[in-house]
Amino acid sequence: MGIRGNGLRKKSNPKPILGYTDTETVKLDLDNMPFKWVKYWSVKTLKQFRLRGLIILKSSASSYHVVFDRPVPWSKNVGIVAWVCLVTKHRRLTEWLVMQLIKKGSTLRVSSKKDKSPPRLIYRYGEQEQQVKDFLQFRKLGKALARAEIDPSNRKQKDISDFKHTGCSLMSRVR
Amino acid sequence: MKSIAVYGSYLARIPVKQRYWVKRADGVIQRYWKHTKRMKVAEMSGRYEFWGKGKDLYQAVVKAHKYMPKRFVNVSAEKFAEHPEQYGYQGKWIEKEVES
Repeated sequence: MGIRGNGLRKKSNPKPILGYTDTETVKLDLDNMPFKWVKYWSVKTLKQFRLRGLIILKSSASSYHVVFDRPVPWSKNVGIVAWVCLVTKHRRLTEWLVMQLIKKGSTLRVSSKKDKSPPRLIYRYGEQEQQVKDFLQFRKLGKALARAEIDPSNRKQKDISDFKHTGCSLMSRVR
Repeated sequence: MKSIAVYGSYLARIPVKQRYWVKRADGVIQRYWKHTKRMKVAEMSGRYEFWGKGKDLYQAVVKAHKYMPKRFVNVSAEKFAEHPEQYGYQGKWIEKEVES
């Protein structure tokens, strides 16, 4: 029996992936690493470079994203991630770093990707007042944008008000 | 600067390039490329980096659903929303493994 015979349809309308990019937030993309190691290396990095606070997001099974709170210049940011690559000997993180260096800005995914769901917040540590707060606001915006992509004509008023508040306030701070 | 990244693989209609040679005055045969009127569907990957206000970001992301980026495009959301055809080809996104 074919797909049509079973009454099933092939999934259509694939979407682009949405990510959050900036230069001053220290971010790590740790794939294929158990959570206890992710936590250990994140806290060690935080203490080594006095990054004040962090959050850990689970992006898929045994893959995690880490976002630190203290803003740093791009050169310092790259130095910190390179240090983590060196001490953890994590090949995937090193590849990710090289890609971010080519782009001159680091990106973490905020929307769903293929069969993976959007990253979800699982751990908080220390202060969350600066970059973590901005990241979470932008993540909210990204999620709303991903919803809007599905059907632009059917968007809700709440979503648009979210864009106005989040986007404008963030950008006025950035500029 | 903070920005929203829209990225992935896509199928787009792009003009077919054709190569031709011209013999220069100094005797060197120089190769050139020209865009023909023929179009082909190609699988590529690309990326937009949008910055701007929330409303512009919304409009830009909705239009990015239809216009595929010409490789790496770093543009203000407001400019892109006004003239998306300048920054992208018409096409559709496909689900394929890409790195961030």
